[in-house]
Amino acid sequence: MITPAVPKSWYLPSKPHKFCPGCGHGIVLKALGETIDELEIQDNTIFGCDIGCSLLSWDFFACDSTQTHHGRTTPVMVGIKRARPELITIGYMGDGGGYSIGSQHLLNAAVRNEKVTLILVNNTNYGMTGGQMAPTTLPGQKTETTPYGRDPELTGYPTRGPEFLAELTPDSAYIARATVSKYKQLKRFLRNALRNQIEGNGFSFVEVLSTCPTNWRTNAQQTWRFLEDEMEPYFPVGELKSPFGKGGDK
Amino acid sequence: MQTNLKVIGDTKKSFVTGNEAVTWAALAAGAEMMFGYPITPQNEVMHYWTRLAPKYGRGFLQTEDEISAGFTVCGAVQAGTKAFTATAGPGNVLMQEPFGMAEAMRLPLFAVIQQRGGPSSGTVIYSQQEVTLTTYGGNGEGHRIVYSTATHQEIYDYTIKGFNVAWKYRFPTFLLGDGYQAKMREPLEMYDPQERGIEIVPTYPLIGLDGHIGENREPQHLCNIYSLEEELYEVVMRFAEEYESISPELVEYREEQCDDADIIILSHGVVSRAADDAVKALRAQGIKAGSFRPITLRPFPQAQLREAIAKSGAKKILIAESAYGQLDRLTKQEIYGETIKIENLFKPGVGIIDYDIVSKVKSIL
Amino acid sequence: MFIYAITERVVEAYVGEYASGKSEMAINRALELSAQGRRVTLVDLDTVEPFYTLRPLKEFLEGLGLNLISFSSGDAFGLGETGAMLNPRARWSLYNEGDIILDIGYGVHGAQALNLVEGASESKELQIIAVINSTRPMTNSPERIVEYLQELGRVDAIVANTHLGDETTFEIIMEGNEDIIAVAKQLNIPVAYIAVEERLAAQAAESNKDIPIKSIKRYMPSAMW
Repeated sequence: MITPAVPKSWYLPSKPHKFCPGCGHGIVLKALGETIDELEIQDNTIFGCDIGCSLLSWDFFACDSTQTHHGRTTPVMVGIKRARPELITIGYMGDGGGYSIGSQHLLNAAVRNEKVTLILVNNTNYGMTGGQMAPTTLPGQKTETTPYGRDPELTGYPTRGPEFLAELTPDSAYIARATVSKYKQLKRFLRNALRNQIEGNGFSFVEVLSTCPTNWRTNAQQTWRFLEDEMEPYFPVGELKSPFGKGGDK
Repeated sequence: MQTNLKVIGDTKKSFVTGNEAVTWAALAAGAEMMFGYPITPQNEVMHYWTRLAPKYGRGFLQTEDEISAGFTVCGAVQAGTKAFTATAGPGNVLMQEPFGMAEAMRLPLFAVIQQRGGPSSGTVIYSQQEVTLTTYGGNGEGHRIVYSTATHQEIYDYTIKGFNVAWKYRFPTFLLGDGYQAKMREPLEMYDPQERGIEIVPTYPLIGLDGHIGENREPQHLCNIYSLEEELYEVVMRFAEEYESISPELVEYREEQCDDADIIILSHGVVSRAADDAVKALRAQGIKAGSFRPITLRPFPQAQLREAIAKSGAKKILIAESAYGQLDRLTKQEIYGETIKIENLFKPGVGIIDYDIVSKVKSIL
Repeated sequence: MFIYAITERVVEAYVGEYASGKSEMAINRALELSAQGRRVTLVDLDTVEPFYTLRPLKEFLEGLGLNLISFSSGDAFGLGETGAMLNPRARWSLYNEGDIILDIGYGVHGAQALNLVEGASESKELQIIAVINSTRPMTNSPERIVEYLQELGRVDAIVANTHLGDETTFEIIMEGNEDIIAVAKQLNIPVAYIAVEERLAAQAAESNKDIPIKSIKRYMPSAMW
């Protein structure tokens, strides 16, 4: 029998996890788990999750974890970090929680250069509530609240989060966009985002482009095609700001 | 964080505003962090905290809004830090979301509410219109502890007590003041609680625990959402039972001359000062008046009020409040079944003086 | 006590810690000068507190013959949240004829608030007077008074205004002011006077011959509600 390799920091009683087949969350959380293991921060990490599909990660890790309200993970993590700077705080949220209902928290935490690490999973819709339009829904994309496709004339253009956060933050911040289609790069970015907090530099943020076949109503091939051909051109992947410099993150 | 420093030192009387009394008491109680957002009339709590906190090794963060102020407190107390906030009016409305989370996760959150006029922006000045919001705000059952103060000494005493109660019972705890109390200047005896034999309830982390996960401890998974109705039901019922079992030891009230009263004036907070003066004036005129004042609005001293009604044989209660019936509703639900006639003096957003009460009593007796 | 020739005008700014008694001293001083038949303008420069200022007393003080530069309750409509607002007439108040008494609100900028008044920095008449009540926690020890005065900036004179509201006693006044007087001496700042409420003034004057005792009335409690 083959035992799948799982990160030590995963909480096994909650496995198998509850995300849909083909959902990108599992990939992000695996990369995050391996990174926590490699950095040896399991004992002093606080993992905080938002409402939405990210909620399903509330007992995902064998790390101290706290579940918050929709959009409020950022201030809860800020409160923890301000109270106990020695803890490593990881806030985990979706595009709705981060860019819509919690945008004022995200923006101001970035401006204050709060020494927390935030991971935002962008799957272009509100998954858990049934596939409504998110700030990241692409022009023309059909969702339950844009049944004729998103019309930017009516609802604006998709939010490019890392781009605006990079504008708001000083050079000691780490801002990147990763994708579940490039696993090694994803891990590298997560590692940098955590390293930046561990070294006490400043705010760290990684948006991860992810998949939602359930709400996209896509098969495996269509799912991957949407991610790589539709999302990635609109949301360019890479490090927008890194105190470690080019190649300094190896 | 270094919080064992004596803050007050020699006990002597000081001339202070209510907002300052909050700050000094929070320092003396060993509060380590304040998270706040500017709103009148609580601003001087922050002004004095930011002036004094660095001198005593305490922290402060001015957040982007009240929602964030409440949630940062939720985070900090989970991490085992004695943290608090202060707000008013629309800020209190926004904070109901984090206050609800504190109810759900049993977080030892302490907040000071200095009521201002409402609804909406209302006035920045004064009211008692945040009673319903502070006692039963949020999408829950009002499992909160609310102290309504009347003097600066009480603001000081109950701020210290509020932190202790929050950390002892882990129900969110509130000090309900108002804009008058916030800005009024009064003599106050400040003290270090240890000097009075008041034990400071120790803080402890709910997350970020010592030890190695998987070796000598389990990971902590805190949550406020449940998959099934039955799971939530069990949690809420457990909280209700616990809340009800501790209520008798939490309830506080004052009564003046209710033993033989024909009329009981019921009020809370700063209005009770006018009620006490009115009782004196009415008694001097031969009218048997008494006053009853809940100090804890949650839990409400309903048994004690019923007892006051019974022993006095009073024919009427006059409920006086600077709101349009918030204390009135609270009282009626708490003493359901009593047949005593209840009259009212409602002045929403406006102060009530002894003369107002005396006149009203004379008009209804 | 400051002595002025009848032709010389009085320009005094009262500064100090929050709730130290600035407004009270300013009102009493303005009424004192007014009683001498002088033309007096009392200026409310409290930019922070939206309501606990001279505003509620405006009509009362005008009735006593003062020219008051202060928002009326009507003007304050919508002031609400910010409260911090400067009356344009206050900015130009030094251009009024006669004596000018400025009541400066509290804040971390201390006496710098006078930058808001046109001509204040060049004025040769202006006296900046710090009001100190040693029962106020931020000024309740010699060290704290020194620290406070140093934060305040330029101070030409000090008023010792120790009291405890309704609980004021002769002992509280005399003992409390000792620290203030000692610090003033140490910093080489004159003590203009000791402020004592009417009922205790005679007793205070009896016991202290070095520093003038000024009998004052407390008007501000009625500004509350």
